[in-house]
Amino acid sequence: MRIDRAFKRLSTKLTVLYAGLFGLALFAVALSVYLAVSDNASRTVRRELSANGAVFDRVWAMREQQLRDSAGILARDFGFRDAVASMDHPTIDSALDNLRERLQIDRAFMMSVDGQLIGLDGAVPAEADLLWTALDAEENASGVLMIGGRPFQAVSAPIRAPNLIGWIVFAAELNPAHLTSLEALAAIPLEASVFTRAPDAVWRTSDDAIAPGDISAVAQLIERTSVNGDAPQLVRVGGAPSIAVVKTLHNFGGDGASVLLLRYPLALAMAGLQPLLASIVIIGLISMALIVAGSWALARGITRPIAALDHATHALERGERPHVVVETTDEIGRLAASFNVMSGEIATREQRITHMALHDSDTGLPNRRALDAAIQATPEGFVVALTIARYRHIREAIGFSLAVQLVQALGKKAQASHPALTIGRLSADTIAIVLAVADEASALALSADIRETLEGRIGVGGVQVDVALNAGVAHIRDAGDQAALDYALIAAEQARASEREVALFDPVAYGDPASNLSLMSEMIDGINRGQLTLHYQPKFDLRTNAVTGAEALVRWNHPTRGRIAPDVFVVMAEETGHIAELTEWTLIQAISDQQKLRAAGADMLISVNLSGRLIGDAAFTELAIGLIEDTGAQICLEITETAAMKEPEAALVNIDRYVAAGVRISIDDYGAGLSSLSYLKRIQAHELKLDKSFIQALGAQSREALLVKSTVDLAHSLGMKITAEGVETAPVLALLTGMGCDIAQGYLIGRPMPLGDLIETLPHAAPQTMQSTASAI
Amino acid sequence: MRAFLSFAVAALMAGNAFAADLTVRVTDASGAPVENAVITFTPAAGVTTPIRFSWPYQVAQQNLQFDPYILIVPVGATVRFPNLDRVRHHVYSFSEGARFELELFGRDESRSHRFTQAGVAAVGCNIHDQMQAYIVIVDTPYVGRTAATGAVVIAGAIGQGTLRVWHPNLRARGGAMTRVVTLPASGAAQEAFSVQLRAGGHAH
Repeated sequence: MRIDRAFKRLSTKLTVLYAGLFGLALFAVALSVYLAVSDNASRTVRRELSANGAVFDRVWAMREQQLRDSAGILARDFGFRDAVASMDHPTIDSALDNLRERLQIDRAFMMSVDGQLIGLDGAVPAEADLLWTALDAEENASGVLMIGGRPFQAVSAPIRAPNLIGWIVFAAELNPAHLTSLEALAAIPLEASVFTRAPDAVWRTSDDAIAPGDISAVAQLIERTSVNGDAPQLVRVGGAPSIAVVKTLHNFGGDGASVLLLRYPLALAMAGLQPLLASIVIIGLISMALIVAGSWALARGITRPIAALDHATHALERGERPHVVVETTDEIGRLAASFNVMSGEIATREQRITHMALHDSDTGLPNRRALDAAIQATPEGFVVALTIARYRHIREAIGFSLAVQLVQALGKKAQASHPALTIGRLSADTIAIVLAVADEASALALSADIRETLEGRIGVGGVQVDVALNAGVAHIRDAGDQAALDYALIAAEQARASEREVALFDPVAYGDPASNLSLMSEMIDGINRGQLTLHYQPKFDLRTNAVTGAEALVRWNHPTRGRIAPDVFVVMAEETGHIAELTEWTLIQAISDQQKLRAAGADMLISVNLSGRLIGDAAFTELAIGLIEDTGAQICLEITETAAMKEPEAALVNIDRYVAAGVRISIDDYGAGLSSLSYLKRIQAHELKLDKSFIQALGAQSREALLVKSTVDLAHSLGMKITAEGVETAPVLALLTGMGCDIAQGYLIGRPMPLGDLIETLPHAAPQTMQSTASAI
Repeated sequence: MRAFLSFAVAALMAGNAFAADLTVRVTDASGAPVENAVITFTPAAGVTTPIRFSWPYQVAQQNLQFDPYILIVPVGATVRFPNLDRVRHHVYSFSEGARFELELFGRDESRSHRFTQAGVAAVGCNIHDQMQAYIVIVDTPYVGRTAATGAVVIAGAIGQGTLRVWHPNLRARGGAMTRVVTLPASGAAQEAFSVQLRAGGHAH
C-alpha cells in the first residue's frame, strides 16, 4: 500500500515493479551462478590441494630418500668410516664439504656417538642435545630438524665401524626457495609454508609471508586438521581467505611437531572466474536497461490513455467539457467512451441546472439571479421594475395559472419589442428589465416606452385582461449591484403610491433601509434625549371662528441626519413595532403641552394620531386611558378608517372604552379608502375628518362639492362634527363654511408649528386668522 | 675349558679354592637379563702373571658372520681370522689401539693380527656390513661373558679392584660401566648391574 502512495505515476510504478522483479531474478541467477561457480572453483582447488598434498608426500619422501641414499653411501664409505673412527677432523670436514658440493645439500654433518658435532656451524647447544637424543633414539632418524631456528628436512644414517660410532646427518633447508620448487610442482600456484611447534607449544614459521597475527588462525587449522583429517579448509591469511591443507610432517626425533601448510588464496581461485562474473554482470545490466526501457514503453502504452482520462477528469472538475480520444477497444477504451458519455451528460445537466438557476420555473423567464448577472455586466445602466397594478385582484379573478401566464405574456411581449434587453421576472407581479443606457432621461424615456407597450389589454388563455403597470427605475451605479433590483422595486412601489406611471427611485422618500433598525433604536434614544418634538396644526372652528383645537404632529430633528420625515420614521415605527413607544411619548407630550396651553389661557382639544396597529392593543388602550384620566386631559384620538377596520372586534371594544373614558374619537382621512357605512354606524366617533383629496379639488359646481356636502350632512345626521383637511384657499374655506362644515384645518388656517409659536399666536390668532380668512374670502 | 680355568685360578690362589666366586648379574632397564656383557675385574694390586685363556684366539668367518661374536683375548695375543666362506672378506678394525686391516682374502685363507693393547676392537667386514664381531683385549684374568641368563661367575676374584661391564650396545661413554668394589677373600660375592642398551643390537 505504501509503495502505491510512493509513486505518482503508474508508468513509473510498473517500470519499477518490472525492473525490480527482473533485477531480483537476475540477482538470484547471478548469485546462484556465482555460488555454483565459486563452489566449483573451491572444490577444484580443494581437489588440487588434496592431490598436491599427495604429490608433496611423494616429493618429501623422494627427497628424503635422496638424502638418505647419499648419507648412506657416505656412512658406508670405508675411508670415511676410517676417518671418523680415528676422529680425523680435517678429513671428515673435507669429506662432508665434498659431498655437500656434489649433492647440493644445504647441510651435511656428523655427530659422534658421544655427542661431538663435526661439520656444522650455527647450531645452538640445545639443538645439539636434541639432535643427539633423536639420533640415539632412532637408527635412521628423519624429518624436520631445527638448525639455528630454521627448519630443515633432515635424514640421518648411522656410521658403523662396524659398531656405531656416529651419525651422518644430511639436511635440506625448508626455505622459500626449497618450498618454491615444491610449489612449482603443483598444478595450481600454491603457497607453501612450514610451521613448527617448539617444545613450548608455540607454533612458529620462518615464512615471512605469514604475519604473526595469522599464526593463531593457522594453529587452529592445524588443531582442526588433527581432529578432522587433512581435508582442505578455509583459513584467513594476510587478511585474504585461502583454502589450505595441512600436512603433518614427521619431526626429526619425534619431539615437537611440524606441519606443512599448503594454501591457495581464494582470490586466485576466483580470479579465473572474473571474466565469467563480469560478463554475467554486463549481460545483467544490459538486460536491466532493456527491461526498464521495455517496461517503460509498455507502461506508457497502458498509462497514456489512463493519463488522458486523468487529465480529462481534472478538466471535468474545473468545469470544462473534455473529450477523450481513445482508439483502443479494451477496458480503457470502454472506460473512455463511458467517460465521454458521462462528461456530455454532466454538461447537459449542468446546462439544465444553470438554466433552472437563472430562470423562473413558472414562466420560463430569466429570474432574479439572471437579472443580477445582467446588472453586474451593466454597471453603467438602469433597472426598471414593472409592477402589475392590483395583481392580487387580477389573480383572484383569473386564477393563479392564468396570472402566471399573464406575467409570462408580458415578459415575452417586452422581449419581443426589445430583444436586446435582459428581461426577467423579479417577483410574482413584477418584471424587471436591465437598461443599458447611461443617462437618467433616456432610462426614464425607455421605461415609459416599455410600460406603454405592455399596458393595455392582453389575452391570456382566452381571457382578456386590462393591465396597468407602475414602472420604477433605479440607477445601478447609485444603488449598487446588489440593491439595484430592490431599489427598482421600491421605485415601482413609490410610483404606485404616488400614482405615477414611471418613478425614479427616490432615496429621500425611502430612507436608508440598511439603517432602519438602528434608526428605530436611535428614535427611542431620540425620545429620551428630546430630539423629538411635537408640532401643532391648529383646527379652526367655523362656527365660533376660533381655533379650538390642534393636531399634534411628531417631528424628529436627528443630530446627524437632520430632519427626518414623519412618513419615514412613523411608518417604520409601525412596521417595526415601535409605534407604541412613539404614541405613548406623543400622548404624554400632548397632555403636557395642553396644560401649558391652558396655563397660557387657551383651552384646546389636542388631537393625537392613533395608529391602526394600536387600536386593537388592549394594553396600550389601558395605558392611554390611564394617562388621560390621570391628567384630566382633553384628547381626541384620530383613527384612520382602514386601520380601524383591520381588527374590527378588538378595535370596537377599545374604541368603546376610550369613549367611556371621555376620550374623543375622530375618523381620519375619511373617503380616501373604501369607506364603509357600517363602519360609521358602529364606531362611536365624535368627529369625521374629510380627506384632503376631496377638499383640494373642491369647486363650487364639482362632484366633490356634492360629495362633501352630503358627507357633512351624513356626519351631522350621525351626530358627528366634520372637519375638513387640507384647506389651503379662502374660496374653499368659504364653500366649506357654506356647506355647514364644522372645523377647517390646513395651511390656510395654519401650518404645523412648535408649541411656542402656537401659544404666541393664540391670543391674536383667532382675530388675525379671521381677518386673513375674511380678506381671503 | 671352564674346569681348566677354574683349576688355573685355584692354583693361582692359595687357600680356599672355589671359595671366592663372584657372580655378576646384568639386567637392562626393564629388568631383562643382558647376554654378551663382558665383565672384567681388575685388582687394584695389578696382575703380574701371564694370562692365558683356554679358548682359541680366532674369529672365523662363516656364513657371512663372524664367529664368535665376542672373543676375549689377553693383551699380546695373536688372533687368527680364518675364512671359511666361499666369498672373500675384508676384515678391519678402526678401534683405537687395535687398528688393523686384513684386505680381501679368500676361502681357507687365514690372516692374523696381534693385539698389543687392552681395549675393544670392533671388527667388521668392509664388504659385508652386517658382519660384526668384538675382540675384547684384557689385561686381567678375571673376566667372563654373561650367558643368556644375564649372569656370569668369575672365580678367584678377591680384594679391591675395578669391576667393569662392557656391552656392544651399552649406552655409556666408551660403551662400559665401571664400579670400584672390594671383594671378600672367601665366599661367594654378588654384584648386579643395571644397564641401558641402545636399541638395534646384534642378533646374537
